[in-house]
Amino acid sequence: MADPYQILGISREATPAEIRKAYLRLAKKSHPDLHPGDKGAEARFKAIASAYDIVGDAKKRARFDSGEIDASGAEQRRQPEREFYRQHADAAAGFKYDGPWTESDAHDSDLFAELFGSRRARKTAKGADITYTMSVDFLEAVNGAKKRVTMADGKTIDLSIPAGLQDGQTLRLRGQGHPGVGAGAPGDTLVEIHVNPHATFRRDGNSIRSTLPVTIGEALAGAKLPVETISGAVQLTIPKGSNAGTILRLKGRGVPAKSGAGDHLVELQVVLPDQADEDFVKTVVEWEARHPYHPRKTEGVPS
Amino acid sequence: MMGEHELLGAIEGLEAETLQRWVDLGWVLPSTDGEAVRFDATDVARVRLIFDLQYELRIEESSLAVVLSLMDQLYEVRRDLRRLAAAVELQPQDVRAAIAKRIGGKQ
Repeated sequence: MADPYQILGISREATPAEIRKAYLRLAKKSHPDLHPGDKGAEARFKAIASAYDIVGDAKKRARFDSGEIDASGAEQRRQPEREFYRQHADAAAGFKYDGPWTESDAHDSDLFAELFGSRRARKTAKGADITYTMSVDFLEAVNGAKKRVTMADGKTIDLSIPAGLQDGQTLRLRGQGHPGVGAGAPGDTLVEIHVNPHATFRRDGNSIRSTLPVTIGEALAGAKLPVETISGAVQLTIPKGSNAGTILRLKGRGVPAKSGAGDHLVELQVVLPDQADEDFVKTVVEWEARHPYHPRKTEGVPS
Repeated sequence: MMGEHELLGAIEGLEAETLQRWVDLGWVLPSTDGEAVRFDATDVARVRLIFDLQYELRIEESSLAVVLSLMDQLYEVRRDLRRLAAAVELQPQDVRAAIAKRIGGKQ
């Protein structure tokens, strides 16, 4: 039987405090229940306990030092056969003490749920959607367009903007979102489209509205003028005597739609010359005196 | 199975009050049979361990709660691993070899 001083790693002159300290340190390192994977722990722990049983007790230590007792003699008295906890905890019955410490559902900490994820947990879920916002030009939205877009993750997708797309509309790219869990389908990518305003065109349902500035002469005498539409320039006939605010309809030149394209509505805006000369003013005033007319009549405002 | 009295007799230095406290803290989970409290072999070994930790190794109560929590988690993982090992054992040789290779060195 090994020397107790040697087992505890202390000198023969060690003080009781030093002996106790050495014992505690070694016992913590060797308690079999705290070191379930250490096959030698139990034997070491027993040896440490036996050694401390002798040298940790002043009387026994004196008897041992004088050769009255040996290490093994004391050991048999102190060490009844005992079952350590680890053999129970390692067995199926140890399940009993798994629960009490964690607040969460015990299955959350299940090693196999992590390892085999979906299959064990029988979890199937559609992947999460990814949401993007992007801006397109007015004409792209109205006429439709193909856009190549680079996503945040570096992936490139070809986005087909359908003709007639409205501001704030969302395009759904099926299966382009995050992967699903288990057998779950991947999520979608949702692209919310913002349509930039256009300098000339305004949208009103499937109609396009714009304003056409005309001269007094064009308004009075009529004219054929080129007008920009969403699909290019067309000739617009201004009827003779068209007043300011007249709305002329270009049929089928509005927003394309399945039910038939909308119209383009052109509002005439009569514009005076930048600098009206005296002659012109005099002529108009004299003409008005001979041919008075009442533009505010319809609104009930006295002239 | 052991009653409380028997258990107190088996562990020298363990007092009824202390044992009751451990039960109250949920550190030991005996079953109850009417009025009687019954400790199975696992409970007894656990009481012995807690006694060792608290009175032999002088681990204070607040630290002991942490020690027991970690210990219980360790044993749970050990049992899980053992089940996993048993499942691996049932796999064809090539599957086991592939797993062993992947896990590497140990063993």
